[in-house]
Amino acid sequence: MTGNAMPKIEVLRVSKHFGAASSAPVLSGVDLACAENEFVCLLGRSGCGKTTLLNIIAGLVPPSSGEVRVDGERVTGPGRGKGMVFQQNALFPWLSARSNVEFGARRSGLEKQAARRIAEELLELVGLREYGERYPGQLSGGMQQRVAIARALALDPQILLMDEPFGALDEITRLDMQAELLRVWSSRRKTVVFVTHSIMEALMLGDRVAVMGGGGIASIHDVAKDRPRSRSDPAVIRLHDEIWQGLH
Amino acid sequence: MRDDLSRHAAVLQGAGFILALLVAWEITSALGWLRPHSFPPPSRIAQGAWELAVRGFPEGVRVWTHALATLRRIFSGFVLAMVLAIPSGILIGASQTLDRLTHPVITFARSVATLSLLPLVIVWFGTGELSKTLLIAYGCFWVMLSNVIAGVKYVDPTLIRAARTMDTPGSEIFTRIVLPAALPRIFAGARTALGVGFMVIVGAEMIGTIEGLGALIMEARTFYRTDVTIVGMMLLGVMGVVFAIGMEALERRLLPWHRGLSEVRR
Repeated sequence: MTGNAMPKIEVLRVSKHFGAASSAPVLSGVDLACAENEFVCLLGRSGCGKTTLLNIIAGLVPPSSGEVRVDGERVTGPGRGKGMVFQQNALFPWLSARSNVEFGARRSGLEKQAARRIAEELLELVGLREYGERYPGQLSGGMQQRVAIARALALDPQILLMDEPFGALDEITRLDMQAELLRVWSSRRKTVVFVTHSIMEALMLGDRVAVMGGGGIASIHDVAKDRPRSRSDPAVIRLHDEIWQGLH
Repeated sequence: MRDDLSRHAAVLQGAGFILALLVAWEITSALGWLRPHSFPPPSRIAQGAWELAVRGFPEGVRVWTHALATLRRIFSGFVLAMVLAIPSGILIGASQTLDRLTHPVITFARSVATLSLLPLVIVWFGTGELSKTLLIAYGCFWVMLSNVIAGVKYVDPTLIRAARTMDTPGSEIFTRIVLPAALPRIFAGARTALGVGFMVIVGAEMIGTIEGLGALIMEARTFYRTDVTIVGMMLLGVMGVVFAIGMEALERRLLPWHRGLSEVRR
């Protein structure tokens, strides 16, 4: 293997239908490749299958046909190499913020002491050093998602899968969290697949934006712009229009 | 601070209202609008309480004996129900097959009014302590069982998926995710079950004993001592409230995270 040519994640002719085989497929013959350390956004309307595709990449849901490969190896289930951040309320409510992050660190095989240290470090990274003792129920939605990101990073995964992680947050918090995520990502490079239904969010975050529709990927757009990006950047606005038109 | 003040004010208002009702009751009795034998005035009830505390009713069986006997029965029935319901509920909740199999039986058994079993229980187990304990245990068991099953069954699937993405083995998902997630529901079940225990006790004590608040209430009726009946009833109420508060305090201690949750979501 030459190393530079092989994609980190390969989605190969993946189809998925729930229930009877005759029912309309959620995904049909989807192909997608993500390079190492690339930030790819999956964009689409509710019900377009973007979360299903993410779950298949995560190994949480098996594809009806086709396969997903990570580093050339077929994905057969979830694993520590792939951290996941859910839309909301996926923290364990009976564990403090720190213990939640520690849970992830322990699962990556660390001893208690080391896990504790990593947890402190990651809470610091997401700006919640002083909130380690709080339970998730005592944190705001944005803070909870920061803890969720820290917990996923505690696995030290090579891939970060994010399922509309800011979708339940208010607009202002959401913009803060996008900036926060980019800051964290720049210090811990990962291959990221980020599901969203916000065109602007996808354009602010992704190296590429894969627009989903009709059971597959309808178009892929390169966002060749350095981050942080401006919402009023002409290139961003042009892409926004292009994607918007494509969705109709 | 302001919260404390308004809470105190609310308590005072509540107490004042009760006091006003008692005074009105006393006055209407004194005026002869209420028949004192059917509706004993508060002063008469207080006399009854005094008599219960000093001489006992029936003579020699004082109120503490009654209360203790009742508590002992509720406690043993409740504990028996917990010991049986928690493990079986966890087992049934964890297995779809068991859940399907047992669901109709549980729904049926829950719907049978516990006290309708009284005659059968007497035939099978006699009129001793065992029958009373079993009746209370029966009432508590089914309520508890369905809550434990629901607690285990309806764990938020996102939590399980999150644990799976962290490569948590199945056995640990059960012990470290499903069980803690089910605890609030299990606790709610225990609270409800205890309430059921307090309801069943009066009926359970109708037979074969002169000790216990239930027995006291029935015995007082035979002698047309409505004041004593009311004292027994009030004592049961007070005990029920004390236990409910105790359970809540225990829950706050054992599940501090859960209180936090409800405060934020409220």
